[in-house]
Formats: sequence, C-alpha cells, structure tokens
Amino acid sequence: MGVILEAKNLHLAFKGVKALVGVEFRVAEGEFFAVIGPNGAGKTTLLNVLSGVYEPDEGEVTFLGQNLRGKSPQERARMGLARTFQGLEIFRGMSVLDNVKLGAELALSTYPLALPRAQREWQIRAWAEEVLDYLHLSPFRHAPAGMLPYGLQKRVEVARALASRPKLLLLDEPMAGLSLEEKQDLARFLLDAQEEWGVTLLWVEHDLRAVLELSDRVLVLSYGEVLYHGPPQGVRQDPKVAEAYLGQA
Amino acid sequence: MYPLSKQLTDAFSRRFARAVRETYREDEAYASTPLGRLALGVFLLFLVLLPFLLSPYPMYVATLVAIGALSALGLHLLVGGAGQISLGHAAFMGVGAYTASHLYGPLAFLGILLGGGIAALLGLVLGLPSLRIKGVYLAIATLAFQFLADYVFKNWEGVTGGIRGRTLPPAELFGLALDTPEKLWYLVLFFTLPLFFYGKRLLMTRAGRAFMAVRDNDLSARVAGVDLVRVKLMAFALSAFYAGVAGGLLTQLYKAVTPEYFPLTVSIQYLAMVIVGGAGTVLGAVLGAFFVLLIPEVLNSLVGALGPQYAATLAAWRNVAFGLLILAFLILEPLGLVGLWGRMRNYFRTWPLPY
Repeated sequence: MGVILEAKNLHLAFKGVKALVGVEFRVAEGEFFAVIGPNGAGKTTLLNVLSGVYEPDEGEVTFLGQNLRGKSPQERARMGLARTFQGLEIFRGMSVLDNVKLGAELALSTYPLALPRAQREWQIRAWAEEVLDYLHLSPFRHAPAGMLPYGLQKRVEVARALASRPKLLLLDEPMAGLSLEEKQDLARFLLDAQEEWGVTLLWVEHDLRAVLELSDRVLVLSYGEVLYHGPPQGVRQDPKVAEAYLGQA
Repeated sequence: MYPLSKQLTDAFSRRFARAVRETYREDEAYASTPLGRLALGVFLLFLVLLPFLLSPYPMYVATLVAIGALSALGLHLLVGGAGQISLGHAAFMGVGAYTASHLYGPLAFLGILLGGGIAALLGLVLGLPSLRIKGVYLAIATLAFQFLADYVFKNWEGVTGGIRGRTLPPAELFGLALDTPEKLWYLVLFFTLPLFFYGKRLLMTRAGRAFMAVRDNDLSARVAGVDLVRVKLMAFALSAFYAGVAGGLLTQLYKAVTPEYFPLTVSIQYLAMVIVGGAGTVLGAVLGAFFVLLIPEVLNSLVGALGPQYAATLAAWRNVAFGLLILAFLILEPLGLVGLWGRMRNYFRTWPLPY
C-alpha cells in the first residue's frame, strides 16, 4: 500500500513553547492511524498543521505526493483532506441536511459547470441522504444541528466530513464525551467508512482502549516529540511511553 | 357511498393536496406540490393586478413596501445569511439613488441597474474590513461608511446637488411615462420579482450554505472548503446591489433624491426589519418590511381618524407606540414574524387533530 500522508521533521513553536519537535511519521493508504499522548503533547497542534490552520516553522507535509506548504485549509479540503474538531464545530444554525450538503459539495465540485443548478442540487441531496442514512441521521435531517443532543452533533460533524468523500479524514477526539454505546456506534461507522469508501483515518483520541483495539498503527507524542511509532501492541510495552503517558508504576 | 367518497378524496389528494413530497428531487424543487404551484400563481397574479385593486395612496404605500422589502432582503442576505453586520445599508441605497437620478426618462431602467452595480462595487470595498474584523467592530466600520456617504451626498454638489438634492422627470418605457405609483409598480415588480427569486434560491443552494457556514462557524467553514474571502465579499456586494437597485426604484417613486432620504436612522430601520421579520428566511425580510413600513402608516391613519385637534400631541406618541410595538414583539416572539407564521401554519395544517 502506498503512503498517503508523510510528515517530515515538523517543528512548530509558540513563543518558546515547543509544540512540535521534529515530528516524523507516515500514514499508509487505507489504514486507521492513531495519535495519542498526554495533555499538551501537541496532538491538536499536529492536526492543525496537517489541515492547514497553522504553518509549521520547519519541515514539510506531503499528501498524495504533493507538498502542502502554503496551501490554505480550503485548498487542502479540496484535495481530499477532511477534518473534524475537538470542540463541536458544526454549523449550529443550519439543518443537519445542510451541514452534510456543505460537505458533499466538495465531493461533487470537480464538475460543477457541467450541471445545471437544480440538477446539481438534487444530486448533492441524493449523496447527502446516502451519508445521512449511513450514519443513522436521516430522521433528524431537517432539525437545526445545534438543537440535537451532543452525541448526535458529533455524528453530524463526522457526517459532514465524510460527505466530502475525503481520502484522509482527520478526527480530533471524536469519542470525547460520548457514552460507551455511542462510542461503539461511532467506531463501527468509522470502520465501515474505512472499508467501504476506502477512507484513510487519522485520529487523535484519549480513550486508550478504543485506540488500541481499533487502530492499525499508533503514534505517541509527548511535549511535541515522538515517543513511539508502530503497531498498537507495542505501545504498552514501550518503556518511554509508559513513563510519559501511562504513568510510572 | 363510502367507497365513492373515499375515491374522490383520494383522487383529490393525489391531484392537488399532495403535501408529501415523495422524492428528494421534489423536495428540492421550488413550489413542488400542485397546491404550492397554484398558490404561487395566484399570488403572482395578485401582484400583477394590484394596481387595479388599490386606490392611489395605498398603491403608493404598497410600492414603498415592495421597494423596502427588496432592500431588506439585501440586508437579510448579509446579516441573516452570511452573519456580517452592516450599519451602512442606507448609504448603499443612496448610492443607487443618486446614480439613478442621473439616468432618467427612457434611461431609468439602465440607471437603476447601474445604481445597483456601483453600490455593489462599493460593497466590495466595504467588505474588505470584514475579512479582518467581526461583530461590533465591523458595525463601527460600516457606521463610518454611512457617515462618509452622508457627507459626500451633502457636499459633492456637482453630482448630488448638495443639501437640496436632485429632482428628475418620471421614468419612461417605450415613450410611456411611468409617472404614477400604479405604473411604476410594474417597474418595481420587474426588478423585485427576479431578485427575490434569486435571493431565495441562493439561500437554498450551495452559495447560501457557504454564507450560513461562515455565519455559524468560520473556522470550520474554512476547513470544510469554503473560501471565506470570496463569501464575505460576495455577501457584501450582493447586499449592496439589492440596496442600490432599491434606492434607484425609490428615486423613481419620489422623483427626487436628497441626503435626507438616507440617514443612519434608515440603516437602523432596515436592521430592525431583518430582526423583526425573523432570522433565516426570505419571508422574514418581507414580513419585516411590511411591519416596519406599514405600522407607521396605520398609526398615522389612526391619528388622522381621531381628528385634527389631537394630531400634534398624538404625532409624538406615534413614534413611542411604534418603538413599544417592536420591543414587545422581540420579547414575545423572539423568532420574529416568521416564527409566528410557522406556528400558525402548523396549527392549520394539523387543524382538527393537532397531535
């Protein structure tokens, strides 16, 4: 399998706070890649660098063979790099359907000129409905997204990101604040998306059990440095990880 | 007997009263049910026939309201749609009005369009600060534009006629002078209807979703692939275009233009329309314009009916009553007139058996 995303020697500092120090990793196409680490380890910063909210001070990110330096978040989104946020960053005033349609537009935007407006609109609708159905959100399609319970709002965000048919989906703590049942549902949706649509997943997550069960490979960060990069089985055995993250026993 | 009546009602439901849309395609379409199409047709017919139904003064008011609704829709696209605030809406109307005042008579049509165009260009310029600042700060920037425009209207005598303003002959169409509100109504419809249709469609499709995404969460909108710069500038330009066209039409109605028509209070009045009407829908902008422009007329006629001896005292109270009405409205129905309308519609739709 080819490499879809490659980070080389990423450095980023905020006025002396070193958020990323020489971070390097590769994500293979179609894999479920996890980034974990204690609070302040630079996980979200890493996602912000990948999705283009921050530019790294040094180093480069290659996505699908292209260097991402200087590319704005919307350009990256158009290349197939979708993202969800740690806090809820959905469009609260828009209906669930509109949220998903907004994502879906990216998927269909390669041939917008060929389609008359009305036709394009219902094509987007059809695809958005498919995504809604897939994530079991159909009954809520016309509800304003901000009025839904927390777990569903999280799912709306995932739906919006998946609707753009991303090649790589970055998830920032998708399971935070969910009940066990909701976590299981979400895990199933993500695994299905990986399998059926060939989406590569990169997620930041605190729920260690879920990470070790679901992920193909794990990157452990601490104070911006890579402590471990490899299969999940090795995480618990690694002495550096145990010290920094799991606590000294 | 029973099967026959059932057959008839079923046939009726299938033919006309099909409120349930069965495919996504129908759900996306405009006025998709036969009943909806019928209602739309009747409404359009009503608009076309309106001059034959109303006497001159109500017709004048109706024209005023239609123009106001157009301008309010423009502001609504910006405020309710893209979530950017503007206190300079009246200034854009003024720009359109002064432009239109130079192209009168047979050129009126062109003048109104050009007025919209120039206003849109200025809207682009005013949109620039919105790329950097938000909320209250943006309101102050647009306020500055309002004052600047006011100053220019009053002092650029060569173009605006200074304090005294400009007068112009009525618009002409194929040699026919549109000198009364009845005739002018059709010119107003000619501009207003397509712009309404466009506005409504815009908010329901791709561009509208981009607008609303910027309103709700601009960081997330960027990551979802929305071009912030383009959306904000487009919202400002579009809103200004609507205002410019409305200003041009207003000039044709008044057959004059002075700086007094476009002060800050008018900008605030338009914001009030958007807020009273209720956020989020085109209908809200229209209802808001109705409310804000019609209530003073109603209060006027009430004052008139009481007799001239009270007129002077009551005139002052008129504004107070108007202010109180708006205040009461916002407290009692935060969703605005649209919220009221939605509740009424749901009540009637489920009428005999509400649960």
